[in-house]
Amino acid sequence: MPISEPMLGARDIHRHFEGMHAVDGVSIEIMPGRITGLIGPNGAGKSTLMAVLAGTLPALSGTIVFQGEDISRLPAYQRARRGLVRTFQLPSEFGQLTVLENLLVAAPDNRGESLLGALLGKRYWMPDETRLVAQARGLLKRFGLLPKESDYAGMLSGGQKRLLEIMRALMLRPRLLLLDEPMSGVHPSIVNEIAGYLEQLRDDGLTILMVEHELHIVDRLCDPVIVMAQGKVIGQGSMAVLRRQPEVVDAYLVG
Amino acid sequence: MNTYYAANLLIFAGVDIIACLALNLQFGVSGVVNFSFIVFQAAGAYAAALLSMPPDTAPDYSFQIYVGGYQLPFPLPWIGGAIVGGLLALPLGLVVLRRLRADYQAIALLVTSIIANTVINNARPLLNGAAGLALVPQPLDGLVNTSTNSYQYLYVGLTAVSVAVVWFVAARIVNSPYGRTLRAMRENELAASALGKNPTALKMTIFVVGGAIAGLSGAILVGFLQVWAPSTWLYPETIILFAAVIVGGRGNNVGAILGALLVPVGFEEVTRLLGRMNIGPPNLIPALEWVCIGLLILGFLWFRPKGVVPEQRRVFPGAPAVEEETRWVVGKRAH
Repeated sequence: MPISEPMLGARDIHRHFEGMHAVDGVSIEIMPGRITGLIGPNGAGKSTLMAVLAGTLPALSGTIVFQGEDISRLPAYQRARRGLVRTFQLPSEFGQLTVLENLLVAAPDNRGESLLGALLGKRYWMPDETRLVAQARGLLKRFGLLPKESDYAGMLSGGQKRLLEIMRALMLRPRLLLLDEPMSGVHPSIVNEIAGYLEQLRDDGLTILMVEHELHIVDRLCDPVIVMAQGKVIGQGSMAVLRRQPEVVDAYLVG
Repeated sequence: MNTYYAANLLIFAGVDIIACLALNLQFGVSGVVNFSFIVFQAAGAYAAALLSMPPDTAPDYSFQIYVGGYQLPFPLPWIGGAIVGGLLALPLGLVVLRRLRADYQAIALLVTSIIANTVINNARPLLNGAAGLALVPQPLDGLVNTSTNSYQYLYVGLTAVSVAVVWFVAARIVNSPYGRTLRAMRENELAASALGKNPTALKMTIFVVGGAIAGLSGAILVGFLQVWAPSTWLYPETIILFAAVIVGGRGNNVGAILGALLVPVGFEEVTRLLGRMNIGPPNLIPALEWVCIGLLILGFLWFRPKGVVPEQRRVFPGAPAVEEETRWVVGKRAH
C-alpha cells in the first residue's frame, strides 16, 4: 500500500460504561512505520480505545478500517490473525508456561495446533515446531532473554514480563502493535532498554500505537502524539506542537 | 481375594482412570470447570444400554419402559456411548461455553447436571425413570458364556484396551502444540484471544473430546453393572472426580491416573473395609467419606495446589537452534 495511506483508521468510536462515556466519538488515523503515542490523564479512555481497536471490548458504534478492510465487527482473535495485536496494561503472561512456550503459543501456522494435528502425532507437526522454536529463540536472543527460555513466565521480573509480551506479540508478525503502557511496573534502568528495542522495531518497519505516561519516553519515541481527555481527542501532532496548545497543557501536561 | 472382587476392582479402576483422564483434559489442561461431567458418563451408559438391549416389548424386558432397544453387537454399544457423549457436548457447549464468564460456566454446568438427573428421574417413558434400566446385556453375550471367571478377566482386558486408547489420545493432546494452546487459554483467556486464539472453538473441541471419553467410561461401566439408574450419576459423583484430578495433579495425565486410584477407588475400598467393622451408626462411614473428600480438596488446594504429580515443565532440549535474522517479525505474513 502507498505510504500515505493510514494503516488503521477509526471513525466516530463510542463506548460507554454504565452511562459514562469512556470513549466518546473518537476518530484517529495511524500512519505506517511510526510510533504513535496516546497520552492523557487517568480515565481519559486511552485503554478503552486500545481495547476497542483490538476487539477485546466491543464498540457501541463507529467503524474501524485496518489495511483497507472494515474490521469493526470482527472478534479479537480474528483481528490478531490479520496483524492487529495488542498487549495489556497489566502483565498477562501465561504464568505456568515457560518463556519459550509463551512465544510458541503465539505463533500462527503450527500444524499441531488443531485437535486433528495433535492426534496425528509428533512426526506430523515437529517440522513446524522446530522452525518456530528457532524463530522464537532468535527473538529471545535479540531481547536478551535466551537464558530464561525454560523458566516459568510467572517467575520473570516486571520488566522481563513486558519484554516477553512484546516478543509474544511479535511472533504473530503484526502489522500494527498496540502497546498499553509497556513501561508500567518496570525498573527505570530497563525502561531505556525497552525504549531502545521499540526504536529498533520501528526502524525495521513496524507500526506501533502506544499508551504511555512517561513524557520523556513519549518525547523520545512517539511522533505523532494523540492526546485524549474525557473520552475525546483534544489534540494531535508532535510533542513540540502540542506543548503550545493551551487545552492540551491544561488537560495533561501540567497538573 | 476372589475373581469377581478382583475383576470388579480392576474394572472400576479402569473406568475411573478413563473418566479422570477426560476431566483432566477439560479441567486440568484447559481450565473448563465441567461440573456436569457425570452427565456425559451417564449419557454414554444409557446410550450403550439402549444400543445393546432389545426393545421394551421383548418378553423379559416388559417390566421396564424405554425408547429404542437395538441389540447391536459389541463393540458398537461402546462406540455409540462415546459418540453420544461427544454429541451431547455440542448443544450444551454452544449454550454454556460461548458467552458466559468462566465462573458462571461452572454454575450453569452444575445446574445442568441437577436438572438432567431430575428430568430422567421423573420422565419414566424415556429411560424407565428412577428405577433405571436393568438386564443390560454384557458385551459378547451369546457369543461367549458371560457367567464364567474367564469372562470377568476378558472384561478387564477390554477395559484395559480402552484405558490404553484413551491414554494415547490424552497423551497426544497434552504433549502437542494444541495442548499448549489449551494451557495458555487456561492461564489467561483474554491474552490468548488477543494472540489469535479462538477460546470458544478451543473449549468446544475439548468439551466434545472429553464428553466422548466420558461417554465411553459410562458404556464400560453399564456393560459390567448391567443396570443404570439416576441414583448412580448424582452430581456429587463429579465432585469425587474433581477431587481425584486435584489430588493427582492438574494438567498431568499420570497425576490423573494416580488421583483416580487414590480417590474414587481408594475411598470406595476403605469405606467397604471400614463398613465391615460395624463402627458407629449404620450411615456413619459413608457420611464421613464425604467429609473426607471435602477436606481432601480443601487440604490440597491449600497446601499442595499442584497435586501429588504436578504438571510437567516442558523444556526443549539440545543445543539451541537460533534463527539469528529476526526482521521477519515485521516482514510479509505467511498467509
